Amino acid sequence: MSKTLKGITLKGSAELVAEFFSFGINSILYQRGIYPAETFTRVTQYDMSLQLTTDAKLKNYLTNVISQLKEWLFDCTVQKLVVVITCLETNEVLERWQFDLECDKTAKEGSAPREKSIKAIQEEIRSVIRQITATVTFLPLLETACAFDLLIYTDKDLEVPEQWEESGPQLIDQSEEVRLRSFTTTIHKVNSMVAYKRTNST
Amino acid sequence: MDDMEDTTIFSTLKSFKSLISGPDHSLLETEPAYGRSDLQKLYTKRVELEEAAERVRSHTSLLQLTQEKQQMELSHKRARIELEKEAHSSSRDLQREIDRNRELLLKIRRLEEREEKANQALNEQMENNKALKRNLEELHKKANVKDSKLTEADQMISELKDETRRLNQKIQIQESKFSTQNLEIQALQEQLDVQRKKYQDVSQRYQNLQSSHSISTESELKMKELERRLALQEQDSVIVKNMKSEMVRLPELEREIKRLREENCFLRETKENNSLLKEETEGLRKKLERVERVMEEKLKAELEKEKLEQELQAWENIGQAAGLNIRKPEDLSREVIQIQQRELNLKQQNYTLNSRLKQMLLRVAAENKKNEQQQKLEMLLDSRRERDGMRAILESYDSELATSEYSPQLMFRVKEAEDMLQKVQAHNTEMETQLSKAQEEAGSFKLQVQMVKMTLYLYTCMCLFFRQKIEELEAERQRLEEQNNILEMRLERHNLQGDYDPVKTKVIHLQMNPTSIAKQQHAEEVEQLRLECQLLRDRIRKIEAGGGVTKDDTTLIIPPSQEILDLRKQMESAELKNQRLKEVFQKKIQEFRTACYVLTGYQIDITVENQYRLTSVYAEHMEDSLLFKSTGPVGSGSMQLLETDFSRTLTGLVDLHLFHQKSIPVFLSAVTIELFSRQTVT
Repeated sequence: MSKTLKGITLKGSAELVAEFFSFGINSILYQRGIYPAETFTRVTQYDMSLQLTTDAKLKNYLTNVISQLKEWLFDCTVQKLVVVITCLETNEVLERWQFDLECDKTAKEGSAPREKSIKAIQEEIRSVIRQITATVTFLPLLETACAFDLLIYTDKDLEVPEQWEESGPQLIDQSEEVRLRSFTTTIHKVNSMVAYKRTNST
Repeated sequence: MDDMEDTTIFSTLKSFKSLISGPDHSLLETEPAYGRSDLQKLYTKRVELEEAAERVRSHTSLLQLTQEKQQMELSHKRARIELEKEAHSSSRDLQREIDRNRELLLKIRRLEEREEKANQALNEQMENNKALKRNLEELHKKANVKDSKLTEADQMISELKDETRRLNQKIQIQESKFSTQNLEIQALQEQLDVQRKKYQDVSQRYQNLQSSHSISTESELKMKELERRLALQEQDSVIVKNMKSEMVRLPELEREIKRLREENCFLRETKENNSLLKEETEGLRKKLERVERVMEEKLKAELEKEKLEQELQAWENIGQAAGLNIRKPEDLSREVIQIQQRELNLKQQNYTLNSRLKQMLLRVAAENKKNEQQQKLEMLLDSRRERDGMRAILESYDSELATSEYSPQLMFRVKEAEDMLQKVQAHNTEMETQLSKAQEEAGSFKLQVQMVKMTLYLYTCMCLFFRQKIEELEAERQRLEEQNNILEMRLERHNLQGDYDPVKTKVIHLQMNPTSIAKQQHAEEVEQLRLECQLLRDRIRKIEAGGGVTKDDTTLIIPPSQEILDLRKQMESAELKNQRLKEVFQKKIQEFRTACYVLTGYQIDITVENQYRLTSVYAEHMEDSLLFKSTGPVGSGSMQLLETDFSRTLTGLVDLHLFHQKSIPVFLSAVTIELFSRQTVT
């Protein structure tokens, strides 16, 4: 964690948020069973044990996305990150984990670091991840084989890099939404929410 | 089998021999001892032996027959097998020969086709040869023609050579001429050069002249232009001087302008003041006129007063001349009282008038000056009327005074009345002035009041209007707040669902993302499964069809079909063999049974397992039959007779032959004899 010990800079905040996304996405994939549980390994982060994937292709994909996201966080051009879970057989979107990002644009490269302790931020992140694990209790079961995708909502005028392409928002038809906790580094604020497809029994 | 049969035969022969030898020994031994009984015993023994021998013979014959039968069967089988093999081999040979035939036929056809093609090729080549020969002939002809042409050309060449010699001679002559002429040309050219030089000099001079000429014209043009410019500049200088002079005047002008402006303002003010003054003057003139009128009337009134005074003095003189009356003081007092009452009335009227005036002031909005004038005129008229009244009173008083006496009290009272009148008049004038002032004030106040009322009315209207507006705006505000809340809720909901503004935001993702990769893999798996399904279905169809003649691309089916065909053929051949064996067996059995029937006289049927029904040739009824059951192990030959209707009729024979003699063949033969005897007798 390359941040100044005395406060949070823009770069440090971007790194914190990117790290949170990396662990958060891994937790979601493990909890929802998108990948088999035996492909995950236990690591310690934010004073709690989290699951991290060992699948090489998946790791590669996640590092690509997260590194690009870190750049965009530094430029304050990213608005949302969405984890979309799709059923392979019917091509329907079953779940959408959406993270809204609010960036304080006054904090630029050379401005003074903000006063907020890293421990407090980590405490907030911990509560968010705990809540993600807890939401699994009321989410409907994913019985069919599913795949996930990461969508990023950016400013319209952003230059799309080579390997990226524009896509639709992949909304859920007839969804229930639940708002989860948020955390802030005083430069970036992350609001979490989950939307899932309403099952016919409910 | 044959050995076994031989051994049984040999065993039976041995037993037979033993049996025969046995009783012989016994016979020889017992002969001397016993007589007929020994002979009978020997006879019976011989009979028994003969019967046993017959039995043995029959057994042997049976065995031989069975042996022969088996041998026959074997030979038949072998023959059949060999025949079938031969048939197979022959069929195979046939097929091979047929195939060979076909192949040979095909070869023959191909060879025939090749022959035909070769023939066609030959024909074509023959034709080509003929064509080539024709071409050669033509070419030969052309060559001949060309040779003839060549000879002609040679002739032409020789002629042309002669001509060339002649022409060469001509050329030499002309060349000499040409050289002389060249010399002449050179001389002329030298002359030309000299003259050219002269020409060039002249031309150069001419050019110089022209250039100087042009320069002069240009300079003249420049002169003219300069003169023009000079003139313009002089004009400009003049203008500049004027301008300078004017410029000098500028500050003065400005000052004048200022002065003029100030004068203008002053004049405007004065104009305004003039207008105002004019208005004032007009007002004052009007006032003057009024005052003059009033003065005139006043003069007139004074004149009248003087006249009245004169008349009063005259009347006083007359009165003084006359004496006092008793009645007259009372009358005078009454008249004075009346005058006082009238004065009071006048005062009351004044007061009432004043009050009325005040009421009028309060009630009426704006009054004109003519009204004031009219009122003043009325007042004057009233005063005149009062004067007239007073005159009338005075006249009446004078008339009364003429008959009566007057006293200085009356005079005094008259004077007081006149004083009162004057005072009243002064008071009236004062009142008039006050009235006018008050009216003016009232007018102004009325105007102000009206203005205030108007403003109040306007303000109230505006208040009401603003209140309505405020209420409407508040209602709108509430409505808008509710709408705002609803829209915010909707926005929040859409934001939670993931909606976005396409103008400001766009959604991107990596092209190689897990979902697309998983979808591709899924699609590929589905495709593979479909292909496998199709392949399996094709395989199944082919297996059901039997593999057959057509060999497909599927490489798994070919070998088993051949074996299956061979096995099927073997099956069919075995089945055929079985069927044939069955037929032959049935035939043989039929033959045997008929032979038994004919020879033994009984038809033996197996009704049930181990039960045999015998029907005699000579049976009287079709149902007459004997039932025998085989007891003991199979093949031992022990039989028992079962009770039937027919057997009950034969109880004697049964007792004799079966119970006593214990011989079934004897019984059967006895039964046939019995039945035969029955038939022949009847």
